Amino acid sequence: MKTVKIGIDLGTTNSLIGKFEGERVQIFKNPVGFRDTLPSVVAFRPDRTLIGDKAKEFLTKDPVNVFSSFKRKMGTEEKFYVTNIDQNMTPIELSSMILKELCKFVKDEDVSAAVITIPASFDSMQSAATIKAAHLAGIKHPFLLQEPIAASLAFFNETKVDDLDGKHWLVYDFGGGTFDVALVKADDSSLKIVDHQGNNFLGGIDLDNLMLKELIIPQLEKITGLSIMENVFDNNNRQYEKMYFMLAYLAEEAKKELSQMEETSIDTELELNGQFYDISIPITRSQLDTIFRDKIDETIHLTKLVMENNRLSALDISALILVGGSTYLPQVKSQLTEQLGITINHKIDPTTAVAVGAAYYAANKTYIASDEPKAPKDEIDDDDIKALLDDESTLSAKPSIEIEYSYNKTSRDAEEVLIMRVEGTYEGHSYRITRKDGGYDSGISNLKSKVTEFLPLMTSFNNIFECQIYDTSGKEVPELTKQFDILHGKFAIEGQPLPHDICLEVDDLENSTTKMNAIFERNALLPLKRTLYKEASKTITKGSKESILINILEGDQYSRPTSNTTIGFLEIEGSNLTSDIIKGSDIEIEFHIDESRVLTVNIYIVMTQQEFKSVFNLSEKKINISRLKEQFTTLESDLFKSLRDFKMREDDIMVMKIEYFLKELRNIKSELLSLKESDRSDRKYIFAEKLSQISKESDKMGGNETIALLIEEYLKLKDNVWVNIQGADFEKDSLVTQFKKIETTEESFMKSKNVSIINAKIDALENLDWNARMNSIGTLMYYFVMLKGHSAEASNKKEMEYVIKVAEQAKEKENYAEFRKNVHYMLNLAFGSSSPQKQMPNFKGTGIG
Amino acid sequence: MKVMDNSFLVALINQIYEMETKLGELSIDALDRNLRKLNNLIEENGFVVRNPLGETYNETRTDYEANLVGIISKHMKITKVIKPIIYQKSNDGLQLLQKAIVIAEN
Repeated sequence: MKTVKIGIDLGTTNSLIGKFEGERVQIFKNPVGFRDTLPSVVAFRPDRTLIGDKAKEFLTKDPVNVFSSFKRKMGTEEKFYVTNIDQNMTPIELSSMILKELCKFVKDEDVSAAVITIPASFDSMQSAATIKAAHLAGIKHPFLLQEPIAASLAFFNETKVDDLDGKHWLVYDFGGGTFDVALVKADDSSLKIVDHQGNNFLGGIDLDNLMLKELIIPQLEKITGLSIMENVFDNNNRQYEKMYFMLAYLAEEAKKELSQMEETSIDTELELNGQFYDISIPITRSQLDTIFRDKIDETIHLTKLVMENNRLSALDISALILVGGSTYLPQVKSQLTEQLGITINHKIDPTTAVAVGAAYYAANKTYIASDEPKAPKDEIDDDDIKALLDDESTLSAKPSIEIEYSYNKTSRDAEEVLIMRVEGTYEGHSYRITRKDGGYDSGISNLKSKVTEFLPLMTSFNNIFECQIYDTSGKEVPELTKQFDILHGKFAIEGQPLPHDICLEVDDLENSTTKMNAIFERNALLPLKRTLYKEASKTITKGSKESILINILEGDQYSRPTSNTTIGFLEIEGSNLTSDIIKGSDIEIEFHIDESRVLTVNIYIVMTQQEFKSVFNLSEKKINISRLKEQFTTLESDLFKSLRDFKMREDDIMVMKIEYFLKELRNIKSELLSLKESDRSDRKYIFAEKLSQISKESDKMGGNETIALLIEEYLKLKDNVWVNIQGADFEKDSLVTQFKKIETTEESFMKSKNVSIINAKIDALENLDWNARMNSIGTLMYYFVMLKGHSAEASNKKEMEYVIKVAEQAKEKENYAEFRKNVHYMLNLAFGSSSPQKQMPNFKGTGIG
Repeated sequence: MKVMDNSFLVALINQIYEMETKLGELSIDALDRNLRKLNNLIEENGFVVRNPLGETYNETRTDYEANLVGIISKHMKITKVIKPIIYQKSNDGLQLLQKAIVIAEN
């Protein structure tokens, strides 16, 4: 015995599928477009069959080949002739196509049993027709459930009601195109529909049309002076037809907005008779109350009729359950409350309630799967023979199909052609190709010896496609499913890929150094264009000698800037500015590299509204001497730090290597540091080359063992920092944000396998750790006591004593914010900084943060 | 830090798109830079916005919902985009977040 679990709402306008699993119901989304609902529409295009959203597009344009609302014809003899396939289709066949499509939403599972909902009004013929449709769709064990019962189950599973026995309630179903109301009663623990009423032509679409007729078009006529009303519903007048679609869409959006707000407006631009109109029509909720009143009254009239026919008053109704998209409208809820006097319950989602209820019912239904052993029978009956024959036919029909796929794995076109060569017994089989991101669906087409499809591609992304093959009964043949990728934009023959990363050198103020900010990554195809939005990391006064340096480097984005080659350099001095640039103001830098590798940089300083453009010839090398000196100091200090670390680890080989690099630096130190800005000799190029060479070599050094040790140190420190942040009494949010910032770059800096970069991150964590501790009352107390004990040694003794006194008072009053401020001040007086960490004095950097 | 939900961001992207369309029609260049920056921020935060205006209508494209005007043919073009296509980048690649609402005609 197996549990059914799957519930299907096979609706007139939209259908849904859900599954009961782990105490709750999951509604499956359409893998194409990712929506919960599937429009119950089938379109037969000349070479393919479309189901759902895309089929709906052709509904008004191609009525002889597109079918909707066929549920209303279930159980009749009516057939629809489809011109494009020269074949008749029955409502059962069309419904089976919707069911098959819904079953495809359930990945990795064969839907062989399901509960399918039917309207309360369905008679035996219509019910039998639904069962047939399910069988045709491959659902061997269908169970039917009336829609109001399904909605009731969804409702009672959300709302705990102690005793239902003998109670009545109403299920009010106001959908996109139809209205139904049912009276349901619980009797001896079973639910049954006592009575129902409905109107097959009353729904949300009628309300949208009312908005057009009563509110929007009269306003448009006023604005334009044209007679619009008589033309807007005419399908043969193209400009009005276009306008109708736009306005109908905007009316629906405004209707949704007015469910949340008291007023909104329809804003659009229209072209009528060659003239453009900028339209803005305000609409209020009270206007909708007025124009919707009659339509909602119609539904209330039918609801009252059901109550009267059954001699029930509002007091006899224990609940009013709302189902269908139109019940989201506040007008519906308020009119119902006003006129019926029954409390409305909003606990269930009106769109999914029926499918959810069907799935709850399915969770309690069991069936005997065909692969399970059956109880032995004395005689073989007709059903057994048929089942045996079916099994035989399934066995003999096992596909022996081979498909060869031809396509380009990379492309720079908007679409790529796919050719499938098919061999074997493919007659009666069909295929469907979808793109994983949900943006493409070929629809279902017959399999032929040669299939050609044009696959639209998402430009600049990897496009993952899946081709599914269906057998003669429309069931997927999983062993023939093929997944393939087409990469758009990269590695194509036409474009030249970048051999290295191209980066901008930006300031890392926390560590008083600079870092690489990737502009274009290695292997990206030329030509390339990108804009970086940065901020000034320092204030630059108009006319001053301070400057912003745009240093564009080629190399490895995970290495130190000094290790890379400058391919573009631009300096904007204070003397170039028309006004000051304040720290934090925006700088926009647009980079463009053409096929010939010519780099163009366009800098826009938002504050001064100045634009600086430069085209770099890559053979031209520019060097800023003060920046070069700063790079020297940073590199030297990094090497000293590494030397200390390796000495502590007693790694003699590494110690020797670093000492050698330091010696090389010493050789150029005095000459480089005394170099004047006005120097016109070649020396700056020689020094820059030397620095780059030492930096590159020191980047490479360390080996896996050292890297592993550093990463271990980093991770250990990270855990400690997190604990200290949790214990902080001030600025916790800011500390967490800083922590997360370091954490998000973790993957990239670990990937760099670069000793100096990992060391820089360890330094950043140490700084953060200090900040976290200095925001904890416990640590502040410790430093207070410690500094108080040494106050006599402070250089500014008088000031120190005064601050200690103020801090003492704050501590006594438990004003810890004030206490913290004064302890930080004490640290400043004692160490010259509130942090004992080393900071580089007068760090110049690039001026870009 | 609060994580913003997608419906808010989608609504924001739609408003930016609408502003861009209106400004384009009015030829106001002064705000171009701000709009470009907004679009850049959207992209850097993992969203891919596409405007299919002018493309040939394709019945297999499920990233837009089209209203077909006039007589249907193979040469229909998208002449009006009411809402743009929005994809979101994730570890598994792209995922469609919003279908465009378009009008296609001959």
